[in-house]
Amino acid sequence: MEKENYFIKTENVCASYEEDDGKSCEVLRDITLGIKKGEYVAVLGHNGSGKSTFAKLLNMILAPDSGKIFIDGVDITREDMTEKEVFDIRRKIGMVFQNPDNQLVATIVEEDVAFGPENLGIPSDEIRKRVDEALATVGMTDYAKHEPHRLSGGQKQRVAIAGIIAMMPECMIFDESTAMLDPVGRKEVMDTIDLLNHERGITVINITHHMNEAVRADRVIVLDDGKVYMDGTPEEIFSQPQKLALAGLEVPQCTALIQALRKRGIKLEGECTTPEKCAKLIIDALGGSN
Amino acid sequence: MAEIKLENVSYVYSEGTPFEISALEGINLTIKSGIVTGIIGHTGSGKSTLVQMLNGLVKPASGKVLIDNKDIWENPKEISKVRSRVGLVMQYPEYQLFEETVRADIAFGPKNMGVEEKDIEELVLEAADFVGLDRELLDKSPFDLSGGQKRRAAIAGIIAMRPEVLVLDEPAAGLDPSGREKIMQSIIGYGKSTGASIVIVSHSMEDMARFCDEIVVLSDGKLLMSGKKEEVFLRSKELVSVGLDIPQITSVMNMLSQSGIKVASNIYTVEDALSEIYKLF
Repeated sequence: MEKENYFIKTENVCASYEEDDGKSCEVLRDITLGIKKGEYVAVLGHNGSGKSTFAKLLNMILAPDSGKIFIDGVDITREDMTEKEVFDIRRKIGMVFQNPDNQLVATIVEEDVAFGPENLGIPSDEIRKRVDEALATVGMTDYAKHEPHRLSGGQKQRVAIAGIIAMMPECMIFDESTAMLDPVGRKEVMDTIDLLNHERGITVINITHHMNEAVRADRVIVLDDGKVYMDGTPEEIFSQPQKLALAGLEVPQCTALIQALRKRGIKLEGECTTPEKCAKLIIDALGGSN
Repeated sequence: MAEIKLENVSYVYSEGTPFEISALEGINLTIKSGIVTGIIGHTGSGKSTLVQMLNGLVKPASGKVLIDNKDIWENPKEISKVRSRVGLVMQYPEYQLFEETVRADIAFGPKNMGVEEKDIEELVLEAADFVGLDRELLDKSPFDLSGGQKRRAAIAGIIAMRPEVLVLDEPAAGLDPSGREKIMQSIIGYGKSTGASIVIVSHSMEDMARFCDEIVVLSDGKLLMSGKKEEVFLRSKELVSVGLDIPQITSVMNMLSQSGIKVASNIYTVEDALSEIYKLF
């Protein structure tokens, strides 16, 4: 397929970092990938597999050693990228990180959300509109005048997300954005991510260790040892538990249960990645056997 | 081994200011010796304040903390003795590594306790073995280790003090599944082989159901429930209503029993679910 059809396209990308003793450590080897506009992608991999490095290459926090990266058709690995072009890439691709406390800069929620668009030099009545809209999208309108440090972890992350939305990005990268949250906080953030993709058409890349989050994506990419190890729909990826285990990963509990029952010779039709589907498969199979 | 009792314990942050927040209110609780106790609760429910009370890092505003029926605040000058009996591993403990070598970092605790030089090396080696940290890494700078190794080195630093109670606040947060498994297994391993009690704070209901004997549930600074994990996870509706969850496999079992299929309610692992459901076919 032509690169124009991809929002993000990487060609043979290699990246490394230098250790304290001067040794170079390869993090990504020969990554060739295409991500389409509006796609919802989960990226899995054990600690040190290169997930975060990959994300940081996409909005130019890091630069690759070799290979090419195209964002919306623009080669961002060119030597002659102008400052304006770099700025534009960072606006198009927003990132939300792991620790909510490190991402909030202002003392009032709405001022924090306005920080991004202010930096973009957007007129103030337009900023007002964007801030209100962004807070509404993440369900935090009632907290506009609150102090960020008094919010729960999930609320802080939603404010951080609103700050990115206000810059009208085309793609959002979540780098383990739920790792520090409790179950409710995690659900709030995941529901927000789903909404951004389904209703706003924002391209989503969710880097996570939680298999239950990965199943919500349309596509799962597994990185291992700096390479693309697996790439497919959640159903395709999680139907290969042995292969995942070799990369230090596991399948969701309910997927593992269905696979184990099948191994014992019980006929269960279809793949399953959620508890609802899992229960339904078992109930249907029992109904059939009675 | 040590049994910890909390009697009517309360704690208030920013007392006397307009921002006064009650972190814990009238907590009565016994943490039994020699078992694994899990503490769960939503963000801000008081979990971290509670665990910091267990080793005297935070002093209750009112109420008593008793270890083997002795009030730990009876003689405040002696509180440092409590801190070596009850070892506390805080969240993201790898940020607290500071020595020049991993060996020196792990040795810091026992050294401070006044352990003789000749015995320290053995404690360090044993602690490294407990957490599965390769002995070759001991002479490296802690800052050259990977994230998972740093976490293990930091936990080894507490284990080297040979605490009778090992308390860990989110020990597996941010680790991948195999890193999680390794950390959890080594913590449980320390408890099993030394008889020490283990107290774990976690947001992962799967881990809690798998590794804990008893569960304590906090909500808004109050004790919502405590008891055997089987009893606690039976009350799934209450757990969900305070922002918690039950293990994924347990919710599958609940859905099955709601649709009239007879299955046991105390199922938390894929293996147990498999044998329970396989019987039905």
